[in-house]
Amino acid sequence: MSIRIVNQSLLRSQKMYERLLIAYPRSHRENYGRAMSQLFRDQGRDAWNEGRYWGLIKLWLRVLPDLIKTSIVERFSSLNERKSMFDKMAALFRPRMAPLFTFLAVFATVFVLVLTASVVITFLMPETYASTARLKVEPEQESSFSGPSSSEPVSTYDPYFIQTTFEIIKDPIVLSKVINQLNLNGDWGKRYNGGVPLDTATTMKMLKQRLSLDTIRNTRLIEITVYSEDKNEAAQIANAIVQSYRDYRVQLHNEATARGIQALQNQYQQDEMSIRQAQADLDSLRQKYNIGSGMTDPQSPQVQPYWDEKRELDQRLAFHKLLAGKIEAEKLDGQIPSAGPVEIVRQAQPGKWPVRPNKPLNIILGALAGIFLATFAGAISALIAFVVGERKRKTPAATG
Amino acid sequence: MTTNQIDPEKLLPLTPAVFHVLLALAGGERHGYAIMQEVAESTEGRIKMGPGTLYGTIKRLLEARLIQESDERPDPGLDDERRRYYRLTGVGEQVVTAEARRYAGIVAMARGKRLLGGSLKAASAGN
Repeated sequence: MSIRIVNQSLLRSQKMYERLLIAYPRSHRENYGRAMSQLFRDQGRDAWNEGRYWGLIKLWLRVLPDLIKTSIVERFSSLNERKSMFDKMAALFRPRMAPLFTFLAVFATVFVLVLTASVVITFLMPETYASTARLKVEPEQESSFSGPSSSEPVSTYDPYFIQTTFEIIKDPIVLSKVINQLNLNGDWGKRYNGGVPLDTATTMKMLKQRLSLDTIRNTRLIEITVYSEDKNEAAQIANAIVQSYRDYRVQLHNEATARGIQALQNQYQQDEMSIRQAQADLDSLRQKYNIGSGMTDPQSPQVQPYWDEKRELDQRLAFHKLLAGKIEAEKLDGQIPSAGPVEIVRQAQPGKWPVRPNKPLNIILGALAGIFLATFAGAISALIAFVVGERKRKTPAATG
Repeated sequence: MTTNQIDPEKLLPLTPAVFHVLLALAGGERHGYAIMQEVAESTEGRIKMGPGTLYGTIKRLLEARLIQESDERPDPGLDDERRRYYRLTGVGEQVVTAEARRYAGIVAMARGKRLLGGSLKAASAGN
């Protein structure tokens, strides 16, 4: 974690605490405000060393109730220097007004406490950026070498294709390359493991937790989103994953193509042998029937086996020629660089704003929770104050 | 309120915050952060005073003349000169001593009733 982030977090906390000191009476602030602020800074430094962000949050959870409680006490004590705080409170909470004042005091205290806690925690939470890359993926086509006559590749529908793709992207076969390429073991070790490089399994687990895969409905588009507190890192990782997956698919595609060409070549060689044999057979038949010597009528039914054999040989030769053309075409295709079955539609860019925490939402939720809890606590307190007031009111009559 | 008119016993019992602050200052003059650290260490981290509680307590102790702000600094070269140091007054020392004795008495009583470790003999020897 860089010194800049540490200073920013502590500075933010410090400024927030100094602003909250307004809760104390002016005289108290003038006498002790600076010392309190300095003490808070010292405590903040200790808290950071102890537990980083969580340490700061724990400090605030301790300091906020303290601030609210003591500021109320100081306010009461400064109301009238001639009367003690307890006298003043007693005068304030007169029996008939006690429930109302109690409700208001408890409501205000609880509401401010909850709201301030939510604001403080929200602003202390580490910011997270997201970067998204978009891919267009196609399933691997069925072998186009089923026969020379099939000029178009065959594509079959796979209902699990997208889910399979997601699993492959999260597989070590793709992520290991990303980890090595970006040296995530070393970088994350410095950041999260006190400088000691992480092992690949741990880095892989962390990377998966920061990875989100989604699909655009009714398309073959996949979105790969990576979350990180470093916006540049998020974009780098997302792009590296996309590239790694693409490389994997291209490699698969090339291997399949090579296997297909090999199969075609095998078939070509077998056909060549059988054609030679057929050619020899045809030559034998021609000699047998004296075809071409002028002694035999070529239209005679007796020489029909020759013509049948010749027709079949011609078909085989045509097939053989087509096969040779197909092999050459596939070899040429393999030499031309292509995107293969994966197309990178959009590269990931560093995010401009953090996606977490959602500050407005957190604060609104904090305010709503504050209202709910404050109302509940205020109502309970008011009820207690009412019961106590009633008892006090009845006690003199009973004794009198 | 003058020092020679205060009966320390009348100020007892002290609140935990006041007692811990006075105890911390019994070891010598300290600034706020050092008091807070001393209290946290002596209570094994159970009591961590916030700035509001600490300086509210200091304010009341100053008003009661149990402590006073120190003009001298232990070692100005080693410390932030903006820090304010506090030390016990004579009355403050009497009060914290009286409170400590009161606690000791309570502890002895608890031992006598076998609520704590130690025998009756040890408890009476302690008295």
